[in-house]
Amino acid sequence: MAEPYKLSDSSVVVVIGSGAGGGTLSNELAQKGIDVVCLEAGSRLTLADVVNDPPAMDGKMGWHDKRIGDMVWLCKTVGGTTMRWSGVTPRIQEHEFRALSTYGQLDEDTTLIDWPLTLDELLPYYEKAEDKMGVSGSGDIPPSAETNNYKVMQAGAARIGYKEVSSARMAINPVARAGRPGCQQIGFCHSGCAIGAKWSTLYTEIPAAELTGHFELRTNTMAVRINHDDKGRVTGVVYADADGSLHEQKARAVAVAGNVVETSRILLNSDSSKFPHGLANSSGQVGRNYMRHMFSAALAVMPRPVNFHRGARQTGVIYDEQYHKPERGFAGGYEIQAISADPWNTSAWVGGWGPGNSVFPQNYTHVAGVFSTGEDPPQASSRISLHPTERDVHGLPVPVIEYRDHANSIAMRNHSVEMSRRLFESLGATEFWGGDAPVGCHNMGVARMSTKPDDGVTNRWGQAHDIDNLFVSDGSTFSSSGAANPTLTIVALAIRQADHIAERMTQKSL
Amino acid sequence: MNDKQTTRRRFLVAALTFSGVASGTLGISLLRTSAAWAASTEDSEDLAAMGRFAQLLFPHEGLPDNVYGEVIAEVLATTAADPATQGILSTAEQTLDAAQDRSWLELDAAGQLAVMQKLEGEAFFAGIREMVRFQLYYHPQFWKHIDYPGSSKEHGGYLHRGFDDIDWLPEQS
Repeated sequence: MAEPYKLSDSSVVVVIGSGAGGGTLSNELAQKGIDVVCLEAGSRLTLADVVNDPPAMDGKMGWHDKRIGDMVWLCKTVGGTTMRWSGVTPRIQEHEFRALSTYGQLDEDTTLIDWPLTLDELLPYYEKAEDKMGVSGSGDIPPSAETNNYKVMQAGAARIGYKEVSSARMAINPVARAGRPGCQQIGFCHSGCAIGAKWSTLYTEIPAAELTGHFELRTNTMAVRINHDDKGRVTGVVYADADGSLHEQKARAVAVAGNVVETSRILLNSDSSKFPHGLANSSGQVGRNYMRHMFSAALAVMPRPVNFHRGARQTGVIYDEQYHKPERGFAGGYEIQAISADPWNTSAWVGGWGPGNSVFPQNYTHVAGVFSTGEDPPQASSRISLHPTERDVHGLPVPVIEYRDHANSIAMRNHSVEMSRRLFESLGATEFWGGDAPVGCHNMGVARMSTKPDDGVTNRWGQAHDIDNLFVSDGSTFSSSGAANPTLTIVALAIRQADHIAERMTQKSL
Repeated sequence: MNDKQTTRRRFLVAALTFSGVASGTLGISLLRTSAAWAASTEDSEDLAAMGRFAQLLFPHEGLPDNVYGEVIAEVLATTAADPATQGILSTAEQTLDAAQDRSWLELDAAGQLAVMQKLEGEAFFAGIREMVRFQLYYHPQFWKHIDYPGSSKEHGGYLHRGFDDIDWLPEQS
């Protein structure tokens, strides 16, 4: 077959979403000669569309459809959240794949399980993902350059006795590589990289897939429903085009990668007499175990200028706290990462009002910042569901997002804020703020991989336990959160999943 | 509204939600306000009061008072075009004045702050606080006040302009 594909062409794999998971899976399949139709709800920007103006970029690429409940910070654009991500790419640690075995069950509402795969199995795919993305410090790629803000973090870390501090593990080219330029230290990474130095599927996986002749991207298409046959195998995806007209693309297999909210919604919204609770949901686990990571942020006014707006927004990680050391009063660990903020952010993170707030923007040139991301145990009560009556412009049920901090995450946050305070005060900080950073950009777990079908939604390949030609290909499949920023693991899992799909197709079992 | 205002307003709505200001509660309090009150906010005394309110929310030594006036004008323009926040400034003005037997603006700074602290839990307060935060900290004059240069891509970023020029940190062993 050749693209563009006919709607009736049932030989294609339909991938929903073009971000870290969907964009990568699409390209990996297309490279193997498998025909792919990728449905993307957003439009396709070019680098010329990227401006250093966060509100303007949020207008161009943010996801603004109605949601009820806790906020998420997602993208509706080709590339998905790889347009907005910071590029920090640590790996999940060996013990984090065995979360339940390592931590034990924490309380009644906690639903920890072990991953149905090990770090050893994922290692070759981590290496492929790092090569694909150009992760600094991997292979022959140098570590990332040390920004002012990184140097503050590094100096403070040394003062308080941390040993494992590195500016490597960033998917931002330190030097030109693979057709993309080296970082120019522009800043504004969270509003799209204006030169393409930061990895995004928009200008890597998507055009690479297009060159194969086995891939068609359909932009401004909102997937609304996945259809199935009497045997319970999926047969196609119904989507609304830019005019709101509905079409059904037939499919040999379907992979869902819409980030947790849309992935939950399309599975739950594809209910039928055969699957009354939605697709892949005989366990009742679709939308459950929604995890975000423990997040904290900290800002400090330093005695002399830092100018943390100069350069990549995040550079470098302190790994000393990433281990499981229960004597700290919580299970699992966290990473401390250098982060900068624009003037509005320095006020908005602190929250509230009055001089205790305005001291940060007032002393903007002297502000330094860090952010911590850590293990967030899954909870049955943190979930994404569909509102019974509210409908959006596509007539789809509005998603309801319920998330609450786990007691373990609160204890970990308090620890991370205290360590951040010590770090900055060791260098003479005159003002400090640390606390919750409610950003909702790391999203995991709503279709998690599990050994036992009752415990999750997908198997060790991200393949639905209930339906063997239905896959989930984004962070929704994470069995637990680990501490690491999720994108690298999403990409590694997508590469691995593409191998599995191709193998099954060769065996004629898919 | 032009495109830029539209995208800024969308961002603002997101910002409000991030700050824990549920749009639902904001909406309920706004239902109480009327078009008449919205019109009345345009008189200069009300604008002066809200400018002072903005200044006490986010005080900055050395920042010209007129910046707060411009911030309030931006908030007014945004809310006038948006049914969800229309009239929020007049609600605020009215509520601040109703807290004592004379105009809030006539109180001394300590008195003004005391009234604000009493009312800070009200939905209108959080709504205005977030709109002022947004308009003030994205305002070009505020950026000038703190030496924040904004967009850098047209200057080639900071690769050759000091991204790593910090020179006061202790030497590491």
